[in-house]
Amino acid sequence: MRVNPNLVPDVLAALEQSQSALTAALQQVSTGKRVNVPSDDPAASAAMVKNTIETGDTDQYTQNVSSVLSMVQTADSALSNVVSSLTQAISLGTQGANGSTSSSNQQSIAAQVQGILESVVAQANTSYAGYYLFAGTASTTKPFMADASSASGYTYNGNTDVNFAAIGDDMNVQVNLPGSQVFSNSSTDVLGSLSNLVSALQSGNASAIQTATSSVSAALNYIGQQRVFYGNVESRLNSQQTYLQQETVSLSSQQTILVGIDMAEAATELAQAQTANSAALAAAAKVLPTTLLNYLSPPQ
Amino acid sequence: MTETHCNDRDGKVEEYLQLLQSLARELERAIRAISTNTLPDFEESVSNQQELSRRLAGLASGLNDLENPDRKAPPVTFEDGLMLQIQVASAALQSLNQRYGALIARSNRSVAMMVSLFNSFRGNLQEVSGTKPKLQTWSCQI
Amino acid sequence: MGGLNTSLLIGLQALQATQGALNATSNNIANSGTAGYTREVVQFSENAERLSGGIVLGGGVSLDSLQSVRDELLNLQIQQQTSQQSSADTQLASLQQLQTYFSSTGQDIASALTAFSKSLSQLSANPSSGGAQQGVVSSGQNLAYAFNSTANGLQTAQSDADSQVTQTVAQINTVTQQIAQLNAQISQLGGAEKDGGTVQDQRDELVKQLSELTGVSISQGSDGETITTANGSPLVVGSQSFSLQTAKGSDGVQHVLDTSGNDITSSVQGGQLGGAIQLRDQILPGFLSQLNALASQFANAFNAAQALGYDSSGNKGGDFFSVPAVGQDAAAGISVKITDPSLIAISSDGSVGSNGNVANLSAALTTPLASGGSVSDGYASLVYQVGTAASNASTQSSAIGQHLLQLTNQQSSVSGVNIDEETTNLIRFQTAYEAAARIVSTIQQLDSVTINMIS
Repeated sequence: MRVNPNLVPDVLAALEQSQSALTAALQQVSTGKRVNVPSDDPAASAAMVKNTIETGDTDQYTQNVSSVLSMVQTADSALSNVVSSLTQAISLGTQGANGSTSSSNQQSIAAQVQGILESVVAQANTSYAGYYLFAGTASTTKPFMADASSASGYTYNGNTDVNFAAIGDDMNVQVNLPGSQVFSNSSTDVLGSLSNLVSALQSGNASAIQTATSSVSAALNYIGQQRVFYGNVESRLNSQQTYLQQETVSLSSQQTILVGIDMAEAATELAQAQTANSAALAAAAKVLPTTLLNYLSPPQ
Repeated sequence: MTETHCNDRDGKVEEYLQLLQSLARELERAIRAISTNTLPDFEESVSNQQELSRRLAGLASGLNDLENPDRKAPPVTFEDGLMLQIQVASAALQSLNQRYGALIARSNRSVAMMVSLFNSFRGNLQEVSGTKPKLQTWSCQI
Repeated sequence: MGGLNTSLLIGLQALQATQGALNATSNNIANSGTAGYTREVVQFSENAERLSGGIVLGGGVSLDSLQSVRDELLNLQIQQQTSQQSSADTQLASLQQLQTYFSSTGQDIASALTAFSKSLSQLSANPSSGGAQQGVVSSGQNLAYAFNSTANGLQTAQSDADSQVTQTVAQINTVTQQIAQLNAQISQLGGAEKDGGTVQDQRDELVKQLSELTGVSISQGSDGETITTANGSPLVVGSQSFSLQTAKGSDGVQHVLDTSGNDITSSVQGGQLGGAIQLRDQILPGFLSQLNALASQFANAFNAAQALGYDSSGNKGGDFFSVPAVGQDAAAGISVKITDPSLIAISSDGSVGSNGNVANLSAALTTPLASGGSVSDGYASLVYQVGTAASNASTQSSAIGQHLLQLTNQQSSVSGVNIDEETTNLIRFQTAYEAAARIVSTIQQLDSVTINMIS
């Protein structure tokens, strides 16, 4: 068996191989990715489709959590103001029921309570980013409008629907309570109780004032209960926020595992590929022109 | 004494004949080796030829000395058959040698021509393009 | 003296034989670069020995023939491997270009699905926001564009493969004609036994070229070499060549017909032709039909989710996407039907500001479609398949390349010429000749010594 006299095909094949390895190493370092096209790693590329979508969703959920949180906090702080107002109304009512209060004082107290009613309505009409928070889903309509024909002087123009915001996969959180439930509920009508107190104070009837003041106390308790809803939503949003932060990190690590490279490793590989390529080039240079002919003929 | 002498001489003459024949065969072997491009064979034959001709020359001078150590004894007649054979073998050898010599000279000229041709090679090596394994590309005109 | 004449004869024959041998050597060196050249070995036969005067003389040598050293089995293996590699390379080139449509470029379907999903969950948090609503329409349009361009990429690859079929058949016909001509020359050189030397080398090289174009089957017949396609349609029989034809079929693509008019498209294997046909008729259509199914099923699912709710005008939700009626070109033709964001079916009960139906719209992206998985599962599967096809073609091409390297190295060992070896031999010959020449004169001198001895 003769030894193959043609070394050239082997050398050229080795050269081709080292050059394509060099190209691959260069691409990895410049893109920071091990996988740039599906054929680099078909399974990783397929898994990346899911990762990409999940990462996008997680980003959006994070934003949603943040904006809903602001909305809910705004609503809750409006209710907190309502609590202060109602407390003030109760103390005014108590004062008005007191026998020592004069009739003219009762009138002026009535006017103050009327002012409180108007400020509570203002709270009920709170908006966030241009949308009313207590209008049900009719968030572009001001929920409580002045209406002389109504007992409380205000009519609810919103609806009783609620909205849910997506804060996770298959996780939607209710974001609002309808204004009619909070402020003009048939069993505990906050606005109604205030306007009744105004009327009682205007009438000067002490027992009527007392009754009306008790109703306002009941309304205060009721608002306290309504606030529980917003508190619960807030805590749910906070815990989801923590979860989403972890998810973001986890998805990012998964992405690196699937398609990323360790930069230090990649730099080393590039250096090795360059060395191997230089060696292959040197070998090729040796094999190609060197035959005995060169030794026979004197160099030019 | 003379008989031993004669026997010695006979033995050497026979050896001479055999050496002549061997040398002739070596020349034929050399010719064959050149024809088949079998260089090692040729080189070996040349080396054998050297050895054989050296021994022949040595034998010949020895025989001459044996023949007339002191030029006193009359010439001894050898066996006719043996001498005839030597005569034939020698003639064949010389004739073969003549042809062999001509072959060497002619081949040598051809080889020298090719060597000087390669001396003048100044060409570039051209690679066939593509990704397939390639044969070494070199050509010249003779 | 028969001996003398015999010796004369021997010398002359040897001289002539050497001339032939020198021709072979110089031919070898001159052709060491010619692709496919097989080294010629001088075949000598020894003439019968003759007796003359009791001395055995050699018979000398005479030149019988120059025989090319080739290994037919090796040639065959190389041809077969060449066909396979060429087929793999053809597919690899197409698939590498195609898979850029499936890479993460920002305009690919995965990126578009991501943006669309995000826009829907943003809508759920801001149902009355005009910006959020427009975001859904825009990202829906981008998703449709992504389907369109991916489908176009596949269709372009198919039509490129179709063109390649036509071009390759034309090339095949050119090569088979050349082979037939060479066969005629070879047969004139004197029958199947006599080796054709350089002409046969040229012919072998052309057969190798033919193998790159399509897989062939070769057999030796009574009138020379017969070359057929893998399924047996004749291409070359002796000195006659048979052309292939292409004709557009009812399916709109080029079919390959043999010389008798038989449609051999599905039986062509190997080479550029086999690779292109497999791409065009099996691989690419497979991807395209999956993409089309994905597009139409997803569009239908989303439109069904629209129908569950009410738009901002209080009307029942209409179609968001439109796809061509026939499922065929769904991916190329899918588009967003609405331009007015108020037509998005956000509300679940008709009341403005309600976002109850957005959950249904989002669900259309995650619930399984008729084919089995969700739209992203289906797309991910396609990415995997395209990537695997490209990666396999690459691996196959490399593996065969390695094997071919081994085979051609073997072929070179058997058939190749080593310049160094040949030129070293020349120098050694020179040296040996010089020594031999000295011996010739030594032997000449022996003549007088011998004469002196016997006289």
